[in-house]
Amino acid sequence: MSGGETIVWLVQIWLTAGAVVAALFLIVGIDRIDDDARGAYVFRPLLVPAVLLIWPLVLWRWFVLETGRDQWAARHRPPRRQHLVAAVGMALLIGFSLIAGLSVRQIWPGDIAPQQLTPPAGTED
Amino acid sequence: MKNKPFFVGYLPVPKALRMFLWVISATLVVGAGAAGYAIGTTQDDPGTGAFRFDYGRQTVTGVIELTPLPLLHVTQGNDRIPAGRTLMMTAGGKMGVLGRAAPLEGQLATASGVLLEQGDLDMLQLRGGRNGLKAAEGTVETPAPVPLGRWKLAGEICDGKCLAGAMRPGRGLAHKACANLCLIGGIPPVFVSSQPVQGEEFLMVVGPDGTEMPQAAYNRVGQYISVEADIARHGDLLVMAIDPATMEVLD
Repeated sequence: MSGGETIVWLVQIWLTAGAVVAALFLIVGIDRIDDDARGAYVFRPLLVPAVLLIWPLVLWRWFVLETGRDQWAARHRPPRRQHLVAAVGMALLIGFSLIAGLSVRQIWPGDIAPQQLTPPAGTED
Repeated sequence: MKNKPFFVGYLPVPKALRMFLWVISATLVVGAGAAGYAIGTTQDDPGTGAFRFDYGRQTVTGVIELTPLPLLHVTQGNDRIPAGRTLMMTAGGKMGVLGRAAPLEGQLATASGVLLEQGDLDMLQLRGGRNGLKAAEGTVETPAPVPLGRWKLAGEICDGKCLAGAMRPGRGLAHKACANLCLIGGIPPVFVSSQPVQGEEFLMVVGPDGTEMPQAAYNRVGQYISVEADIARHGDLLVMAIDPATMEVLD
């Protein structure tokens, strides 16, 4: 299996799992964890594309809310504490990506001349 | 609790934050400018290729040859496309014209559309349906290909349409996915040689024994490679039948 085929295969698995989670969450789960969603159905298909992509997060939040472990006031504290590290890390990552990309870039082979290996049939000496 | 200065956009900047804001602002402006300049100067020149809408609609007549992708050997041209030219053709978007051209193989046909031009490379984007390509009266012999032997070349496989000016840049690794979609759609692949071959920098790519470009070559589109190929002159266009087993990625 080539690199490209492997990527496509992984994406298919991810999206298939996302489709299962989307079906379960939007039919069953959302009513159990969100009072405002009860009896409202038209908006649910709009959530499908996002659930396909971030289904692990959906499962995690569903679990947290379902089991009553949610501490809504504390939810944003850890990300806030990490903002500086994340900002500096991402800035460094951009720089690193640029340098890495430029360092592995190919050089145009302008110095390689075309080479005739065999003349056309019937013209050999 | 100690009072920390707090920035609010619509209020005057707190004294303690002024220097910090100046430094950050100057760093961002200078840094972003420097980064933009550095990135821009490392990019290759995209060339002068473009849709030549300024030429107006081009209508020429010629004989269709399948290599297996179609070529038009112009027999009745115009100021822009004189008789004797050999044109690659494309449909709108990422589609080729094999379906329209195949029934006309070996026959005279009238082609109409807009020209894409990059140096010696040109390609005609046909109008839709029979307005773009239809049979013409008369008979003309298809020019016989002139074999030029087996060659080893260095360069890059691109899709001919983007390379000719549909996109800028229309080549390189960043353009690989677009190029492969164009090629899958039937747009002729073109090899950009590191140095001219028999005076030509651009060669149309086909597979061995009259087949289309092999699948293995799609994985090397946009990369600088060396490859062996049997080259033949079809009209004024060179066509290279690549041997995929000889493809090597260059450093």
